[in-house]
Amino acid sequence: MRVRNLTISYSGEPVLEGASLDVDEGRFVSLVGPSGSGKSSLLRALIGLQKPLAGSIKTGLSRSEIGILFQDDALLPWKTARDNVALGLTLNGTTRRAALDEAETWLDRLGLGGLGDRFPRKLSGGQRKRVALAQVLVMKPRLILMDEPFASLDAIVRARIVRDVVALVEREKISVLLVTHDLEEAISLSDAVYLLSQGPRAHVTQHYAVPIPRPRDPVRARMHPAFAPLYEKLWSDLSREVDYPRAVAA
Amino acid sequence: MTALDPRYAWVRRLLVLAILLAVWEAAGRANMLNPLYAPSPSQIGSALVELFGDGRIWPHLEATFSAALGGLLLGIIVGILLGVVAALVPFIAELIEPVMTLLNAIPRVVLAPLFVIWFGIGLSSKVALSFILVAVLIFFSVFTGIRQIDRRLVERIVTLGGDRAALVRHVYLPSVAAWVLGSLKVAVGFAFTGACVGEFVAASRGLGYLLSFAQSTYNAALMMAIIVLILAVVLIIFSLAGRLEKHLLRWS
Repeated sequence: MRVRNLTISYSGEPVLEGASLDVDEGRFVSLVGPSGSGKSSLLRALIGLQKPLAGSIKTGLSRSEIGILFQDDALLPWKTARDNVALGLTLNGTTRRAALDEAETWLDRLGLGGLGDRFPRKLSGGQRKRVALAQVLVMKPRLILMDEPFASLDAIVRARIVRDVVALVEREKISVLLVTHDLEEAISLSDAVYLLSQGPRAHVTQHYAVPIPRPRDPVRARMHPAFAPLYEKLWSDLSREVDYPRAVAA
Repeated sequence: MTALDPRYAWVRRLLVLAILLAVWEAAGRANMLNPLYAPSPSQIGSALVELFGDGRIWPHLEATFSAALGGLLLGIIVGILLGVVAALVPFIAELIEPVMTLLNAIPRVVLAPLFVIWFGIGLSSKVALSFILVAVLIFFSVFTGIRQIDRRLVERIVTLGGDRAALVRHVYLPSVAAWVLGSLKVAVGFAFTGACVGEFVAASRGLGYLLSFAQSTYNAALMMAIIVLILAVVLIIFSLAGRLEKHLLRWS
């Protein structure tokens, strides 16, 4: 995916201005930045939920090959876990029978075997997140956009889901663009990290390659020698981005 | 304080009701109550048995049921249609919302005499009153519901490749069904209110008409028997509506 000079404005001053970034095939890329830097807006523009004011987005993928995971699982409460997972397939022309079979396979694969008949209200936060993940993966996406999808989970559940997601995207060679506030998460999961400046008129200020080899365990990646120096650099650059507008205002 | 077991709440309620009825009956038999104003439970029971025994009640029940269920059905259909259209078309909302707000603000039973003039003393005027009571309730339920629909669900369908028809099928219709079912019990009460008030104002059949007749003949036992009957009918329909709601909204 190639994003060039993307500008997004809701009304008046642009929240994001001239942002460019690349996500190569099979790469895991993270986007970090201060609150209000337009990270989520950029993802919404990539999936077509927000019309950009200017710039270009080239993915070379069809609409159904791009999946998105939001912070909220956004499952339809009146559909069972199985029906929620099968939904994307039926909306794209797969017969209901085949879609339900495929949904069951993905529920099993993500450790939700036997829970297909449950409504979202009857699932835990971690289980709902896995259903949302199955809903995206069942479409066999080539690119997944993630908007802080693990933020609402507790530490243990989060670690387990993140480990499963990393194993899956590595095995299936799926490209990922992850938006997160969590620098540790960004480094431990990604091949590259982009830093956005403070908004409004936020733009990409830095690009960091993460030299931690794959396949990767997200927990062990934090103990890799390259992790700490990169974390320090990112932290210092991010702090400068947050402090700079305050200094200018003062 | 000892916590009460909620499973046996109905037993406790039934027991208190039985005690109240026994006290009431005893007071009646001891001539402490004037039967002209407050007949005893046994006298009310006798009036009920008499109503059913000679079969007089059936045409009246049929009339009230026809009016209430007709108004309920029409009110639900029209309320949903208007609510959906107003929520999706701002121009229609501009026209309809003030009228519905006005109708909601006034006690709509004041329209009963007008409906008798417009539609006659037959079934139509009662259906009209039930309809207007139910339609306004359902309209606001659907209208506000659609306007407050969870945007995340809409975006989920869009990002999964769904079109407008998919949105209606997978988000709007289930949401509307949930709001309508949530208002169903109140709507049933409104529908019977409309039918009975309409019959009370002018009719030749129906429970409302019987009430009016009992009032004009100063027959308190008959009046209370009919009130008990209306209560029983509404409770049965409430219970059926509750079961339907529980089944269809089992996901909530």
